[in-house]
Amino acid sequence: MATAWMATVVEADPSARAALQTLSPDFAGLYEAHSRPIYYLCLRLLADPALAEDATHDVFLKVWQRRDQFRGDSTWRTWIYRIAINHCHNLQSAWSQRHIQPTEQDALLDLAGGDDTSPLRVLELRELGERIQTTLDRLPPEYRLLLLLVADEELSYDEIAELTQQTPDAVRGKLHRARKAFAAAFAATA
Amino acid sequence: MKPPASKLQCQHQTEDNLTAQHGQQQTGREFANADEMLRYDASRTEVPPAVARRLAKSVRQQARPPKRPSGWGLLP
Repeated sequence: MATAWMATVVEADPSARAALQTLSPDFAGLYEAHSRPIYYLCLRLLADPALAEDATHDVFLKVWQRRDQFRGDSTWRTWIYRIAINHCHNLQSAWSQRHIQPTEQDALLDLAGGDDTSPLRVLELRELGERIQTTLDRLPPEYRLLLLLVADEELSYDEIAELTQQTPDAVRGKLHRARKAFAAAFAATA
Repeated sequence: MKPPASKLQCQHQTEDNLTAQHGQQQTGREFANADEMLRYDASRTEVPPAVARRLAKSVRQQARPPKRPSGWGLLP
């Protein structure tokens, strides 16, 4: 996917938001508050801006359809993330049945055992999205998801643990290894 | 949530110059860790406006009453 790394940077479109506002101010507020992190998660999990756009639409349509099921046991953010993660996993499962996935993960995990304090550089910002996508694509799916979730400062370790169905301590341990693996893989993209 | 000590560095343009053409001046940027780098990447990634438009259309369609079955549905 040659263009998969391209983060879509566009101007805000007030008319698009107004369309939602007229339907339901509450729903428009949810979309306004959470669509960016959800789109980013979809973009980096699916590695394709067009698929991420479709996925974000589908996720928020599910939010609309299931809004009466929200019980307040979690935050809206966590609830919507759960829908998005399941949606992306379902899409990825469908793909993996049709495609053979290249695996470089073992080599990266070996690298991840080394020093993680070496500075990593890119020459231009334009490269950054591409290198981040390449790096994430080379990580085990669990590491990829954990790194993307912890990058959202609104999520606590407890919420990440709940979303990934493990203990907060397990999340901390895996995140430590995930950061090392990311650093190693990022260096390899230079 | 103490970040690890690794430094992920890159050359970057300021936010206003994200779409600037090749050859413009760039300044250095250092990321403390993967989290910070991903946060930065997320912060400059906007949701395409088409999503909100499509969503509004989809929600509007959901609100419509179900269509009456057409004559095709009556065929054996």
